[in-house]
Amino acid sequence: MKFIEDPRIKIARKTFALSWIYFTIYLLVIMGCSYFLGIKPYLMGLPRWVAIGNILVPIVFILALVFVIEKFIPDVPLTDDEDSENKE
Amino acid sequence: MNWAIFSFLAYTAILIAIGIWSYRIVEKVPIEKYEKEFYAAGRGLGGIVVALIIAGGLASAGTFIAGPGMTYAYGYSWVLLNNFNFFSSLLFLGPIGIVVGIVARRVNAVTYLDIFKARYQSKAIIVILAFLVTVFLLPYMATQFVGAARVISQMTGMGYLVSLALGSLVVLVYCVLGGMRGTSLAILIQGVVITVGCIMLFIGTVNYAGGFKKSTEIIAAQNINFLSPTMGGEFSPFFTFSLACMIGYFVVGMPHAMLAALTYKNTRALKRGIWMGGILVLIWTICLCMSGVIGRAIIPNLAVPDEIAPWLAMHVMPEALGGIVLAGIVAGIQTTVAAMAIIITSSIAKNLLKELKPDLSPREAKLASRLTMGSCLTIAIGIALLQPELIQWIILFSIGGLEAATFGPILLGMFWKKGNHWGAIASICTGMIIYALANTIIPQLRLWGAHPSFLAVITSIIVYVIVSLVTPKPSDEIVRTFWGKLKKT
Repeated sequence: MKFIEDPRIKIARKTFALSWIYFTIYLLVIMGCSYFLGIKPYLMGLPRWVAIGNILVPIVFILALVFVIEKFIPDVPLTDDEDSENKE
Repeated sequence: MNWAIFSFLAYTAILIAIGIWSYRIVEKVPIEKYEKEFYAAGRGLGGIVVALIIAGGLASAGTFIAGPGMTYAYGYSWVLLNNFNFFSSLLFLGPIGIVVGIVARRVNAVTYLDIFKARYQSKAIIVILAFLVTVFLLPYMATQFVGAARVISQMTGMGYLVSLALGSLVVLVYCVLGGMRGTSLAILIQGVVITVGCIMLFIGTVNYAGGFKKSTEIIAAQNINFLSPTMGGEFSPFFTFSLACMIGYFVVGMPHAMLAALTYKNTRALKRGIWMGGILVLIWTICLCMSGVIGRAIIPNLAVPDEIAPWLAMHVMPEALGGIVLAGIVAGIQTTVAAMAIIITSSIAKNLLKELKPDLSPREAKLASRLTMGSCLTIAIGIALLQPELIQWIILFSIGGLEAATFGPILLGMFWKKGNHWGAIASICTGMIIYALANTIIPQLRLWGAHPSFLAVITSIIVYVIVSLVTPKPSDEIVRTFWGKLKKT
């Protein structure tokens, strides 16, 4: 029997790639900010690298995650049954 | 009775009521559907519960007690190391959530090892993983009980044994009686308590310290290295990167995170679980870790750094609110224990037992589930009676071991058609050997100061690929089940 790939697997692969790319960008930004911004001048009373790299950057990335997830991951049915798919 | 004890007892009473209520629901389910209800809550959980299962399951005593403890001891450098936690739900559900969701419905998988069984069709893998999951998760669970007991004891003045009983027996009640249904109901209440508790602790600590600027100046005067991202060179960027891998990319290897992938209702719940999980962990981690550092400006000479969170709860806010923070910290720990208890029980009672005794009746399986759950929690409570000193090291050791064993077989198994059971077995064994050697007689395997799990995971992936390429491909049935388009019925 000829193998036909389930189209949902392509979406799963894209979601996997999206997750790792997103985290990698976050990792680069947070490490860049932490190691290169320095301590002074203080920002909001905190070391500069903490205020930007460890508070503002994570908040921005988490809020952006809401948009990225809702925009780039489509709703897919989880069952192979047509009726169930319509209900998803 | 002081207000802290009263608020904590009220929280505990609610959890017991949830256990009894969910027991009634589970008991009404027909016996043939019992396992799906007990282990996967009927596979109908929404986004917020999925988010809480992942966030609460992965954020353990390591986050709620040792997190502020480490920031107290090492300053802002450990805040940076904790910031990789935020994306644990993305890095678990993103890579494998959809595939597990589809396959679990196709093969009626309700447990972590059901997925392995469907993918590798190997009794050896089930036996090895059931053993490893139990070996690594039981002491991990015990450390959670120890952490909870110490916090309760410190805040209420009760003895260690009474505190251990209060913090642990309630988990036993709602897990054994209600299974995943009880756990998911409890986790909703616990999620609210954790979040409120963390925010209150943070606000109380910052106010008490006189604001960020004043606290930063006091900390700088104590030791300027507390303000450095490397703690004055103690944590190299590569060590930071290796921890980012461990609590970021490698989190797929954590078995108790699989619960969320097995129980979510639809992809809308999956997506909400991802971003809500991120928001929750962000709030918990930032509030607790920042409180730990700022706490140093309030009390600079605490003998045991891990005691900073309960110390702050008792000293910087009113007694009744301190009780809510206490409940929040303990709730964070209990969610982890509950997730682990479900995973260990399912591995032994559902998978291992059925491999050894295939003709197990549904009624016997039901009894085995509850007996195993009760036994595992009792053993973990027994280990907690020994009161191990350094719980953070046991936690990190368990996480690293589980990831070294399972990361390759899970992630590659979900996406690479040529991956087979020979590759998986070789990968698990290699990961375990390298991890054991790096932790004992060959510490040089901790390359460039990285955590031992780093090399173990990388090596196990390479071995998985090589062995799979030189051994027979998986059957067409496996390939169709995992990646094929099936005819609609």
